[in-house]
Amino acid sequence: MNDYDNIWLHRLKWTYLLLVVLTLMTPVMYVMYVSFNQNGFGANEYVFTWEWYGLIFSDELLIGALRWTLMLAVVVTVITVPMALLAAKYYKAADNKLFPVFLLLAPLFVPPDILGSALLVFFKNLNFALIWLGDQIGTSLFDSWFRLSFLTATIGLIIYTIPYSFVVILITMGRYRKEQTEAARACGANGWRAFWDIEFPQIRAGVFSACAFTVILVFNEYTRTSLLKGGFDTFTTVLISQMLNTGMSPQSYAMSAMVSFVAIAVIGSIILFTMIRAESLSRTARAKAEPVMS
Amino acid sequence: MTNGTQPMTDQTAPAVEVRNLSKHYGDFVALKNVNVTIAAGEYFVLLGPSGGGKTTLLRTIGGFHKPTKGEILLHGKSVGHLPPDKRPTTMVFQAYALFPHMTVTQNVGYGLKVAGLPKDQIVEKVDYALEQVGLSQFTHRKPHELSGGQQQRVQLARAIVLDRDILLLDEPLAALDAQLRKDMCLELKHLQEKVGITFIHVTHNQEEAMTVADRIALIANGDLVEFGKARDIYRAPEKSFTASFVGENNMLKGRVAEANGSSVTVDVAGSKLTVDKRGLNVTDGQEVNLSIRSECVALDRVNGTNAPADGLSILGTYDESVYLGLTTSHMARLPDGTEMVSRVISDTDDTLPEANAPVRLSWKPGDIRLHVE
Repeated sequence: MNDYDNIWLHRLKWTYLLLVVLTLMTPVMYVMYVSFNQNGFGANEYVFTWEWYGLIFSDELLIGALRWTLMLAVVVTVITVPMALLAAKYYKAADNKLFPVFLLLAPLFVPPDILGSALLVFFKNLNFALIWLGDQIGTSLFDSWFRLSFLTATIGLIIYTIPYSFVVILITMGRYRKEQTEAARACGANGWRAFWDIEFPQIRAGVFSACAFTVILVFNEYTRTSLLKGGFDTFTTVLISQMLNTGMSPQSYAMSAMVSFVAIAVIGSIILFTMIRAESLSRTARAKAEPVMS
Repeated sequence: MTNGTQPMTDQTAPAVEVRNLSKHYGDFVALKNVNVTIAAGEYFVLLGPSGGGKTTLLRTIGGFHKPTKGEILLHGKSVGHLPPDKRPTTMVFQAYALFPHMTVTQNVGYGLKVAGLPKDQIVEKVDYALEQVGLSQFTHRKPHELSGGQQQRVQLARAIVLDRDILLLDEPLAALDAQLRKDMCLELKHLQEKVGITFIHVTHNQEEAMTVADRIALIANGDLVEFGKARDIYRAPEKSFTASFVGENNMLKGRVAEANGSSVTVDVAGSKLTVDKRGLNVTDGQEVNLSIRSECVALDRVNGTNAPADGLSILGTYDESVYLGLTTSHMARLPDGTEMVSRVISDTDDTLPEANAPVRLSWKPGDIRLHVE
């Protein structure tokens, strides 16, 4: 705040910010609140308990769904982030940027139901074609390649998450100067070495953010996953199925709250660490910049 | 001297030979059939206006651009197919080229680390290189904690520590302020004399070029216009572009009135000027350019006795004077509207002619040069 700012306007801005944060966080906090209630969601009486957290790990359905979700998240992240990184590198080097950016961001603008359904139809037809091809050459080897399965869900989620990863990485890459890669090459480093030693450390934050973002997107995604997953369930499909049919179980609230706790703790720690490090670095820089008084 | 990471080269051959080099970007021609040879241990400057092609030539020598046509030989070996890391060159960039996540020591030692040198050798070489550029006390600083001049010194140390034969400098002083640029120019020159390797330096600043260069090549519009020793380029430019770009030359357009023997009479703004033919082919009536450095032009008031008829002076009207500190430029206008400048080391203005007063601009016979292109 500078000397000419109105103090009440300043307070109003802060109140507004707090209100936005409260609006964003209240539903999450409410889930956390319910997860500690002995009597579950909607009960008149609130009795604090840890019981539902204890029961999470005995709930086969939830644990199985969580396992599948984590596997999907890991596989999708491992494939999506390097692809997005390569795309961002090529995009930065491209002379004509409009066409590649349009192609890469196009999946963002296709509604999830349409993209999911399109992929479903595509995989079914591809599957028929491969079965027909197998029949022609007398093998059943291709019969299950594109049946709805972990593979099809993975492909669907990669298509969904690549544009987000691409944008996140590109934002960090925007600050990177290509002269540094050239300087590394002039020092004798080959292309990979220059990338790994010089460029990657500077875009690492973006790459890790893209990883975190991809994991969150996979956890969160319902439409494409439910259309393409085949015979397994993910955490979100279980929760939504429970909500639509029987209502969420107390263990589901506990699991949701736990996932939120972990996410907030991880992201919060990263932010805190970054802020403390930035402050420490600027303190060191200030100390070095100060003239020595004798 | 090499650190063992570079291919063996023929030390008797010129450091750099550029043969018939052209570089096109689609329809745009950045370099047109450039030929130049740079001797080992020479400080060679590529000078020219922005967009002329000098950086393209430097980057092509360094392996950052592939030639469209032509050949580049470094110490007698053709290197057109080699990437930058496989050439006996290293490079200092204009700015932003230090690795911001590394300390000064790590920046300087990076190339040695890539080459796989043992740690104790890296430490020794880095310390020596930093001492050469006067940065021994800043080893643990990150680039953002250094001034612009210090950052460029780190780049220099990072380059010379590699013991490569050819150092390419792409406008290394362009981001520095005027005083620092002057200081760094001399430091660069002394450093080159100390390490004895070939420096190829790109700049658009002629003072910078004059300070450091053994030889200067002028590049404009993708052409290598002219090259030669700094003194020759300044005092005796062959081409009118060189004369107009280097120093402060008065450029006069005229028509050959008489071309006999070793001199030519040229009609400029109604005056007949005599100029050395320099062995050039000129014919009567041909349009030519003449150049005279502004510091060679004397300006006098005209009175009844000094009307020009000697072929070494011209009449004009006084315009104004501009005080530049060390020198003062006096501007006069010829009858055809051409502006001429007389620059003198004097800051007394009590004897200045009044505006529009008739003046005589004169020079010595060897100061005026004929250009026919």
